[in-house]
Amino acid sequence: MSGTHSSSSLPAPIARLWESLRERSRSKRALLLMAPLLVFELLLFVAPFLILLRISLTNGSQDLRYAPGTWSLSGYSEVFSTDILLNAITYSIKLGLLATAITVVIATFYAYAIWRSEGLVKSALLFSVVLPLLTTLVIKTYAFMPLLSPNGTLNDVLLSLNLISEPIQFVPGTVGVVVGQVYIVLPYAVLAIYSVLATMDWGIVEAARDLGASRPRSVLEVVVPQAMPGIIVATVISFAWSVGAYAAPGLLGDGQNKARAFALVVEKRLLTLLQWEVATAYAVVMLLLMLVSIVLLTATLNYFGGEFEYA
Amino acid sequence: MHRERLENALFRAGYLAILTFMLLPLAVVVVTSFAESGNLAFPPEHYSLVHYRTFVEETHWLLAFDNSLLVGVGTTIIATTLGVTAAFGHEIDDGRAGQVLAPLVLIPLLIPPIILGISMRVYFVRAGIGASYPSIILAHTLWATPLVYFVMRSVFSRFDWQLLDAAKDLGAGPIRSFVYAVLPNVKHGIFVGALLAFIISLQEFVMALFLSSRSTETIPVVAWTQIRQSLDPMVSVVSTFLIIISLIAIVIATIATNLDWLSKQLS
Repeated sequence: MSGTHSSSSLPAPIARLWESLRERSRSKRALLLMAPLLVFELLLFVAPFLILLRISLTNGSQDLRYAPGTWSLSGYSEVFSTDILLNAITYSIKLGLLATAITVVIATFYAYAIWRSEGLVKSALLFSVVLPLLTTLVIKTYAFMPLLSPNGTLNDVLLSLNLISEPIQFVPGTVGVVVGQVYIVLPYAVLAIYSVLATMDWGIVEAARDLGASRPRSVLEVVVPQAMPGIIVATVISFAWSVGAYAAPGLLGDGQNKARAFALVVEKRLLTLLQWEVATAYAVVMLLLMLVSIVLLTATLNYFGGEFEYA
Repeated sequence: MHRERLENALFRAGYLAILTFMLLPLAVVVVTSFAESGNLAFPPEHYSLVHYRTFVEETHWLLAFDNSLLVGVGTTIIATTLGVTAAFGHEIDDGRAGQVLAPLVLIPLLIPPIILGISMRVYFVRAGIGASYPSIILAHTLWATPLVYFVMRSVFSRFDWQLLDAAKDLGAGPIRSFVYAVLPNVKHGIFVGALLAFIISLQEFVMALFLSSRSTETIPVVAWTQIRQSLDPMVSVVSTFLIIISLIAIVIATIATNLDWLSKQLS
């Protein structure tokens, strides 16, 4: 039963050769297993982006969506010379920053609460995050219409408590867009921070408290810096998705919101006006703007994260 | 001591307020689906099942359910196959391919769906399969595969690899050793990954909107069109079904693994 294929019974040099062959076939097999997904990503993600980039560099066309084969910067000049870019910065980037700031603060607190709770409470809190996460954003935005419209639930409550004398129009309007967008991204942000907190040792916080730190201070100076990797992921996700928000401004926004939101403007150019070179150029410019903003945001967070740590 | 009690009360009030904010909108949707009147108000004045009766009679909603099911099943099959094989390959050898693959599958999740939707639309229209089932399925696969992949990497990382070596030493080929030594130990993980892929496809909206025609519209797309035309509790009925499906999926996934692990996979 001393299996001849087992390396242990072979002379040392042959055994080493056998092992290296086995290693090589192992890595070849691994590559073979990963190849389908690699090919899929190249065909369905990388290739579409290269084509997007290529079309953004073509000329417009009267009767086609763009003029194939041409080279031109007309799409970009349309983005830079009209109010498209101005709206992108004063509306979409601003909405992104606002929604992200609110989301990340709430998410950090909630993730901390989940981390500190146990048993049934913990399950209930986690459930309250996972269920909205797995619900379509159409429902998540639609739900705010009966709640926030002028004759909606919130206005009824405020009126009956005599806090306001006439209904406030949260929806359609910017307040509704921000609330809806925060609701859409909050579950992702909470879980990103929670999964980092879950690896953390509570003993560090206790040590800080034993040394006399108050509760809020121990959270701010011990928990937040430790959770920073999660907070950064939460920031990036919230920001990217809020800048590109489609459903919230489309459903909860007024005419102003709809005319300025990146996603709705780019949709109109693509599907209604059939100006593919402008739509794709705008998408490319927006991606670059987002990339720059994300780098700046992450650097700021890292800076302040470090600040807390050494305070 | 007094201060500590105040802090505790504030802390609890804080997270209960957020808990309410997380669940109230979904509760509103479910409750309004039982309204008697045709306008959307919360809480409704009278309750009835009238909108459920109309829903069953309307064929365009049933067509949307069929479309969603078809797209969801297609996405689940492709995403699970791609995700499980790639995660397995990455786990047996963490070479250069793996180092390229991990960030590559993650990036699409960090790009706003609207931009993915545009690039896919342009790509598929040029490829001649514009608004069709395959284009929606492939777009959803791009979104669902990372989840299966990361779930499976987490599952495989806890797997005892000596079992696989043992199977090989006993003479089993690569496929037999996978089926008999690996599969029984990771099937829960694969099941949860597939379930999540299905739910993600079922609920995805922006890419589906850009890639569907009237005959291939999924439920979220039809709901969106409906809301834009007129507000009536019918959308609440459909939404209630979608929420219940996700609820059931969470319960099943929690039984197969546990809620804490599931939550960490979703981040």
